[in-house]
Amino acid sequence: MTGLAQRQAAFLGAILDDEAPLPTGWGDERAPGLAIYRNNYRTSLMEALRSTFERTERLVGEDAFRRAAAHHCIMHPPRSWTLDLVGKGFPETCTELFTHDPDVAELAALEWAMHEAFVARNTKPLTTAGFGEACAKFTEGDWEDLTLTLVPDLRVVGASHDLVRLWSSLAADRAKPDVVPCGEAQCAIVWREGERPVFALRPAWEGAALDAFQRGATFGAVCAALIETLGEEAAIAEAGAMLARWVGEGLVEKLAQGVVASPAVTPLSPFASDSSLSVR
Amino acid sequence: MSAIAPFHGFGLGLRRTHYADFLEGEVDVDFVEVISENYMVEGGKPLRVLEQVREKHPVILHGVSMSIGSAQGLDEDHLSQLRGLADRIDPLWVSDHLCWTRTSAHNSHDLLPLPLTREALDAVCANIDRAQDALGRPMLFENPSSYLTFPEDEMAEWEFLSEMAQRTGCYLLLDINNVYVSAHNHGFSARDYIAGLPLDRVRQIHLAGHEPGEIIIDTHDRAVSGGVWELYADTIAQLGPVATMIERDDKIPPLAELLAELELARSLGRGNAGAIAA
Repeated sequence: MTGLAQRQAAFLGAILDDEAPLPTGWGDERAPGLAIYRNNYRTSLMEALRSTFERTERLVGEDAFRRAAAHHCIMHPPRSWTLDLVGKGFPETCTELFTHDPDVAELAALEWAMHEAFVARNTKPLTTAGFGEACAKFTEGDWEDLTLTLVPDLRVVGASHDLVRLWSSLAADRAKPDVVPCGEAQCAIVWREGERPVFALRPAWEGAALDAFQRGATFGAVCAALIETLGEEAAIAEAGAMLARWVGEGLVEKLAQGVVASPAVTPLSPFASDSSLSVR
Repeated sequence: MSAIAPFHGFGLGLRRTHYADFLEGEVDVDFVEVISENYMVEGGKPLRVLEQVREKHPVILHGVSMSIGSAQGLDEDHLSQLRGLADRIDPLWVSDHLCWTRTSAHNSHDLLPLPLTREALDAVCANIDRAQDALGRPMLFENPSSYLTFPEDEMAEWEFLSEMAQRTGCYLLLDINNVYVSAHNHGFSARDYIAGLPLDRVRQIHLAGHEPGEIIIDTHDRAVSGGVWELYADTIAQLGPVATMIERDDKIPPLAELLAELELARSLGRGNAGAIAA
């Protein structure tokens, strides 16, 4: 390591750790300057986290959020050049710290997904008319082999609480959080309508189906898993409706076929509800 | 590599709170400067806004994460994304700071000071060569504000900047407030600093506010101070007209307030030193 590299490693080490001694060769007169850099570091990370996880902070309160954010920054000091990624892994930090309140990590995961969707690659989703045209002459085999490229802003987040109610209740400062467990397993799907990230609560099996398509599964494989989960009659009805809904919502970028090997799709999560709530 | 022609205008930093002003109205500026990293994203609203603003105003890409002083060299992912943004926006120029922000292990997300040594100068010059080569254009580098110096320093900051510009062909972004802040914090003369720079390499000036105290902190959260205005007036008397902008990054006021500050810069630029007292 060069002298410059050693100096920079020692300096950054002293910034990251408040208890670290002054780097070699530094007199006490440099301590006030170092304190300013330490403060700048903590403030910028804290502000980045507060800005990304605004509702999570309202849910747990400022003090608890500050402690969680400080813990996250100590355990996962930033590596990327962009401050946008400082919050990566924060939902997992919340899972670790708020063990009796799973709604905290779920809300943080939702905010992170919205944050990512906001600046995801622009794309032109397939329209309902375009989808109809593309499928007009499909044979049964074509449907079996169909794969979907989903829009790049799409994210799926697990939900054991009604995140729509929770999200809405935390829209303003000093709001009273509305924490209501879901009766059945759900998920939140997040995407961008134009420039605005939105989300909707869906049955967990629908999220699992989206996840399977994102991993390259064929429609045939997803339908087989749906049959195991919902039973044949319900699966047939749901599969078509689900696909039509996704196209209508702009979640499908393009269709493809001829995939050599579709990844295995395990049975999807139990059917929970046919209702879909949206905060769009 | 093509030279950067002098550009004699007055501009502001584009901040989110002023998006609507710039998109929906006519703002009397000659250019806008944006923080490059805020727009080094794949898609969405930030890029759309920048492209629309670019249709109305020349844009400067001003970075905070190049870490030109890193001993380990540059982050190729950052460089590649910056190149992509520059190709997309066609900026007046691309700038960053004479500082370092990261090691190979971690990123501070702060503009950290460099030891002013031959070794650091060699590292900076090698990194600037790489950056300018990758971007296909000369860059501007800004003098930092700092809160400590290093026991191993071998030269003054203006000497470091002078040799850096001479060796790499880069240009200088002279932040008058940073000179003022560092001069106070480290006990040198701000005017000696500016006199020691190769002024023919300066293509832009930044003006900003600071928090006074035993150690002055470069906060960008208030109006430009009287001392900084005086130093600006002295500088442009030597330098002649040069692109100048007001930087505000915190406690951002209505646009009209910043435009009023910019008008003072314009007035001083016309040689009206009495404007400061007014």
